[in-house]
Amino acid sequence: MALFPLTCNFQGDFVLQLLPVDTEFTMDQVAAAAAYHSVGRRVAPRPGAILRVRPQGAEAPFPRTMKVVESGLLPMQCIEVIWEPSQA
Amino acid sequence: MAILERMDWYDLARTTNWTPKYVSESELFPAELSGDMGIPMAEWESYDEPYKQTYPEYVKIQREKDAGAYSVKAALERSKMFENADPGWLSVIKAHYGAIARAEYAAASAEARMARFAKAPGQRNMATLGMMDEIRHGQIQLYFPHEYVSKDRQFDWAFKAYDTNEWGAIAARHMFDNMMNARDAVGIGLMLTFAFETGFTNMQFLGLAADAAEAGDWTFSSLISSVQTDESRHAQIGGPLIPILLAHGKKAEAQRMVDIAFWRSWKLFSVLTGPMMDYYTPLAHRKQSFKEFMKEWIIDQFERAILDLGLERPWYWEQFIAELDYQHHGMHLGVWYWRPTVWWNPAAGVGPEERAWLEEKYPGWNDTWGKCWDVIIDNLLAGKRELTYPETLPIVCNMCQLPINATPGEVWKVRDHALEHKGRWYHFCSEPCKWCFEQEPERYEGHLSLIDRFLAGMIQPMDLGGGLKYMGLAPGEIGDDAHGYAWVEAYRNRAAAKPAA
Repeated sequence: MALFPLTCNFQGDFVLQLLPVDTEFTMDQVAAAAAYHSVGRRVAPRPGAILRVRPQGAEAPFPRTMKVVESGLLPMQCIEVIWEPSQA
Repeated sequence: MAILERMDWYDLARTTNWTPKYVSESELFPAELSGDMGIPMAEWESYDEPYKQTYPEYVKIQREKDAGAYSVKAALERSKMFENADPGWLSVIKAHYGAIARAEYAAASAEARMARFAKAPGQRNMATLGMMDEIRHGQIQLYFPHEYVSKDRQFDWAFKAYDTNEWGAIAARHMFDNMMNARDAVGIGLMLTFAFETGFTNMQFLGLAADAAEAGDWTFSSLISSVQTDESRHAQIGGPLIPILLAHGKKAEAQRMVDIAFWRSWKLFSVLTGPMMDYYTPLAHRKQSFKEFMKEWIIDQFERAILDLGLERPWYWEQFIAELDYQHHGMHLGVWYWRPTVWWNPAAGVGPEERAWLEEKYPGWNDTWGKCWDVIIDNLLAGKRELTYPETLPIVCNMCQLPINATPGEVWKVRDHALEHKGRWYHFCSEPCKWCFEQEPERYEGHLSLIDRFLAGMIQPMDLGGGLKYMGLAPGEIGDDAHGYAWVEAYRNRAAAKPAA
């Protein structure tokens, strides 16, 4: 367990934000942490929609249960938090 | 005794490239301060300034200018401008004074370096006058806001801002230090006077003077018009350097300096002048949109100037034009959302009528920036103001030191432009900011952005309170909505007036 800072780019938002997470967080937990700083603040909620996490530049998102420590992400690397494509 | 006409003696009087006897030329003009690029001393004597002025003329004219600006101030001191002005307008002048006044002193230091170390005699003469200009600008732009300090302590930031680690102050220092305090005489001429002053100060000083007059702030209008008359003279220091550099095969070096300084100036103006013109200035008092001002003063005038002098458009010109449509909207939204971190009260400027104006000036605004503001407005209408304050930090660019942002909504253009350099990752807002870093990495690599400092544990406690303390923002100084959220009521009234479906 260790604090792990990421650069977060949330789909539909306008600014990159600092996102402190834990190395043991799953990608679903990372997405939820990211949503806290964007959804309902500057991005309209989409009830029932699923959020996925991918590194900037990648097409495919990480598996939802993958932990940060397993992801190969570097501290402060930019992640994109996107709405599940079928629901986007 | 007959007095000679100025042009009968001017050229001779400023031919001051003597041959030194007691020190070598390189000791008198060290290359790292003159920036001569190996071009011989005699070649610099062809420097021909377009605006020739002598010291007696300068003193006479400057005295008249000061008398004019100070007499307007004295005459209007009881005018109740402060009490009657729209709060958005007061935010314009607070932001302006804090960002500009102390930078004028740094500019005086830069002009002094040119006055001493430039190898072109004409450049030294013009810079001597320019140095005195900048001292005047520093003094007058500290003296004028001082009368408001007793009424509103945010005006204290006219002096205070540059001594703090407030994020906007860090951004302004990073840019101005780069082109004023950490350059040689040629670099200052090209970057400060040519790229920044020719390109951009017209925007801040003439564009804003027009808005000030419309807003009834005649004191500020006459002040910055007075400042600009000096700028339009000493901004011409850099141009005559370019033919000399081109004649000696130094076009690439000149182009690079202009390109760096122009891009950095654009970024600072996108956060300072853009929100002032398109959001803070009351709608009824806006002369033109920020984009229209930029098109007139920058695209039409500066582009012609660089081409006439034999340089090219900066390589990023298309991106610069594209950014005129979005960058300052993002800077404004960021400043408003993180409003406790600034020394002025940002005016949201997004009431129904203002939004119609924004949509007209920037087609598509409602489908992009408007989407973010819709959520903010819904929260304010629902009494959830806490959701309109941040609980984390924006990532700032390692070059311009400003939040990395772009168009939101369906098009969602936000991207991190990252670079690994000597094992450290740097984050940039754009390819041109990354390019600036890559041109001179040793100049920038050691600097820590506000986010780098936060992650290094330099900001304690690691929360908003710790951040405000680090930035020097005391209670009574931190920003909040300029109109106390009164603008939201128009949406409430509109919703109430709508017939039930």
